[in-house]
Amino acid sequence: MRPALLPVILALLPSISSSQLLDPAPLSEAPPVTLYDSVVRIEVATQTPDYSTPWNSGRFGGGIGTGFLIGQNRFLTNAHVVSDSRRVLITKRGSSQKHPARVLHIAHDCDLALLEVENFEPFSRLPQLQFGGMPRLESEVSAIGYPVGGDRLSVTRGIVSRIDFRPYSHSRADSHLVIQIDAAINPGNSGGPVIQNDKVVGVAFQGLTQADNTGYIIPMPVVGRFLKDVADGRYDHYMDLGLNTFPLFNPAMRQAFDLKPDGKGVLVARVVPGSQCEGIIKREDILLTIDGHKIDSAGNIKVGGEFLDMNEVVERKFAGDIITLSFLREGKKMTAEITLEAFPASRIYAMKYGVNPRFTVYAGLVFQPLDFNLFATYKFDDRKLRQLYDDYLSKGTFKERKDIVVLTRVESDQLTSHLSGFAGMVVEKVNGKAIKSLKEIHELLHQDDPPEFITIEFAGGSRPLVIPSAEAAAAHPRIMQQVGISREAVLD
Amino acid sequence: MNFPLLTLSLLLASTLLASAEISHSVVRVNSTLQGYSSSQPWEKTSPRKRRGLGTLLSGSRVLTTSQMVADNIYLELESADSSETVPAKVIAVDYDANLALIAPIADAGFLSKMTPASLGSPAKSGDDLTILQLENNGSSQETQGIIRSMELLSTFVSGRYFLCYEVKASMQTEGNSFTLPAFRKGKLIGLLTSYNAKDQICDILSVDILSAFLEDAENGSYEGFPSLGVGFSTTEDPYFREWLKIPSGEGGLYINRVLPKSSAGLAGITKGDVLLSIDGNKIDRKGYYQHPLYGTLYWTHLVKGSRKMGESVAAIILRDGEVQDLQMTLQRPAESLIERYLFDKAPPYLIKGGLVFQELSLPYLKAFGKDWATRAPMNLLDVLSNPEDYEGGLRRIVVLTRVIPTDATIGYERMSNQIVKAVNGQPITDLAELNETLAKHPANGLHEIETDDIPYRIYLDQTLANRVDQQFKASGLPSLSRIHPVK
Repeated sequence: MRPALLPVILALLPSISSSQLLDPAPLSEAPPVTLYDSVVRIEVATQTPDYSTPWNSGRFGGGIGTGFLIGQNRFLTNAHVVSDSRRVLITKRGSSQKHPARVLHIAHDCDLALLEVENFEPFSRLPQLQFGGMPRLESEVSAIGYPVGGDRLSVTRGIVSRIDFRPYSHSRADSHLVIQIDAAINPGNSGGPVIQNDKVVGVAFQGLTQADNTGYIIPMPVVGRFLKDVADGRYDHYMDLGLNTFPLFNPAMRQAFDLKPDGKGVLVARVVPGSQCEGIIKREDILLTIDGHKIDSAGNIKVGGEFLDMNEVVERKFAGDIITLSFLREGKKMTAEITLEAFPASRIYAMKYGVNPRFTVYAGLVFQPLDFNLFATYKFDDRKLRQLYDDYLSKGTFKERKDIVVLTRVESDQLTSHLSGFAGMVVEKVNGKAIKSLKEIHELLHQDDPPEFITIEFAGGSRPLVIPSAEAAAAHPRIMQQVGISREAVLD
Repeated sequence: MNFPLLTLSLLLASTLLASAEISHSVVRVNSTLQGYSSSQPWEKTSPRKRRGLGTLLSGSRVLTTSQMVADNIYLELESADSSETVPAKVIAVDYDANLALIAPIADAGFLSKMTPASLGSPAKSGDDLTILQLENNGSSQETQGIIRSMELLSTFVSGRYFLCYEVKASMQTEGNSFTLPAFRKGKLIGLLTSYNAKDQICDILSVDILSAFLEDAENGSYEGFPSLGVGFSTTEDPYFREWLKIPSGEGGLYINRVLPKSSAGLAGITKGDVLLSIDGNKIDRKGYYQHPLYGTLYWTHLVKGSRKMGESVAAIILRDGEVQDLQMTLQRPAESLIERYLFDKAPPYLIKGGLVFQELSLPYLKAFGKDWATRAPMNLLDVLSNPEDYEGGLRRIVVLTRVIPTDATIGYERMSNQIVKAVNGQPITDLAELNETLAKHPANGLHEIETDDIPYRIYLDQTLANRVDQQFKASGLPSLSRIHPVK
């Protein structure tokens, strides 16, 4: 089982006031400018949408995090520090002045963001932190930041204990390279630089809930990829081949595919429909090389003496890049070039930030498209719903069905008094018409010349939901008013 | 909460006078129950003992509940004073109705000295009855109770409802009381299946069900209770009723599923029909009808409990707003794709080279724990929810449940709970067929196994698999397969 990873959530804690008062130290001369001065405190006010009442403004909150100057008016931090932000303020070390800032780029899949301040002048003389490489195992690094427990800069030293591919908990759906250190990364540390020999070797970003003194940092390959991706002014996400592979360890398996027992080649077990490989790679092709690197029977490659998953080649690529695959199909050696593109459908399984939840309400019936946020809010247990969620990508459901529309709530009214049992089910049809998007159901429910009854059929439902159109039209404004629903729909 | 009566403590606050007549027909029933492991079906789980009471009927037969005999490996009858015992066997059992008829295997002197009980006439709400318990010293203890209501309850297998009395009675929760007989006017009127000490409410299986069971068992071949084979929704929602065009004076149940080859299916009832009445008894919008003697009862008693297999019943349905009369010949629905229970049946399995195959059953799914309905694998749960999607030609769903690491299964170790579609190109309809297919020599010495999940097709070296199987045998696995013959 994988340990629960929590992003180091920002927290506004009252400052500790019980420390013993000491005589004020004599003021020293103005200290020399050090690279620590380029580590800034980020104060964020957030507004997080509430998926259970999507028409409401959501929860107001906030917290602190850390960022650091990496270029002309460019501050790097974690995506989770500035997600769902309404206001971002940056404070210099040793100053109490708050400088309004804004998010330039945010990458939720690798938990990184780039900020700029409205007026860079006060920061213009600070050194820009330089990037280093991969720290060695057992070497010492320092995490600089503004963690809980005080207002001033804090330095935490740790030893690099592991370099591994691990889940990034911010999006709940992505794994990338991670450096593990034996020092705790505490709330507020997030987004701060991790330094070795005066160079940045990573960004502190998450801790481990079950173990003390374990911190995780985002290493340079991931940071570098992010900065390169946004260089054109847009973040394109990580790329994915859309292939599932299966190891070819079994001698019988190798014999069936007429392969030598040389430990080479991995089986394509599934080509995700709609992915860039669809139509080019087929199930039961045997992948031999990726961009010239030989693939072994477990799907691993060797690059510069390092043993890596073949997907790491794809990790470092950008939209529009080409991957060359060579493979065996029915004994024949073939080669294909795959042009990489982002695959938005796969984000159904990732937590979304900074977007208004989509919904439509009609006559007390609340409809929302199924995604990770909705699942996290409602904890659905309907079997059909769970299966449709699972199959959305792997069976290619998304190709014909943009949204899986769920009746999430039934608001109380005389019209809906027998309908509460339908909440949590997936809409298949409205008035006999298959529902493929939220917009479609919105339009059908608001059509000008409705049939006598609105009938809604559910996936695996024991009966249709039926309401007379005239009564529903009359109930719609009444229920909106009673329940305090300020907007009837957000469709885009 | 209801729970079976188990040994708590012997609290003799008051001793009621024993009635000689009824206690003379009561014996102790002792059983040792032992089922099979779900994950390692070649192994048995640890045995449990259960003690209850049975009632002697004519012909040396003893009536008790089926939960006393489910998965039994040893069954015996014991005299009230515990001085004599005799081994016994099951003559007829109905796990749905929770009834079992058992008989001694050998001559038992103590039984011949007892007086067989006979069944009483139907009781109704307000009637009194006497629940009988036996104390350790053999003396009987009687508790008087009043039937508070008549309800359809499932007393053993979930989802199977039969007519029961709900009786208010203040009982001492004695030991040895998994099943207790209830009498009225000196005759057996029911079997107590559970007692809620907090509310002092007992559930007692009614004499109606007892007599139907005994009548069926009379000729030696037990058939069971019939059912319509439909899934239904209630029609309380006024807009739903308007849409279905149900007249205002009617109740009705909306039929949402009809099992093929069931009483309803063969009579032409289809999804979307509204069932209005059975044998002239109007069914209300919540599914209840008015029984002339018992009052408000759930509609399923009109079939399951009131009528016998093969009988004809008259139904009135509403189809597209039109009233129609139908005649149904009652039967039991065809055996379902997924067995609901495996009592007394060793679960079939097959091990080949380390691949473990089993037939999908409800007990297998329930072994995924308390939250099995959400925690069990989605592909297997889908078969349970939508069996009609899988039924085409299949008798059973064969599942590659797990992979034991062996030389033949290198690389397959993480596969589990995949539905087997075909082997060596041959569609697999049950475990017996899989067994036959794997016994044949495959084309190039490799068995090709197709499943419903990644990697969808694996290969097994026949020679290697056979060698691994021999090693399994040598290492103490009792048998590599348990295949039930195809019916």
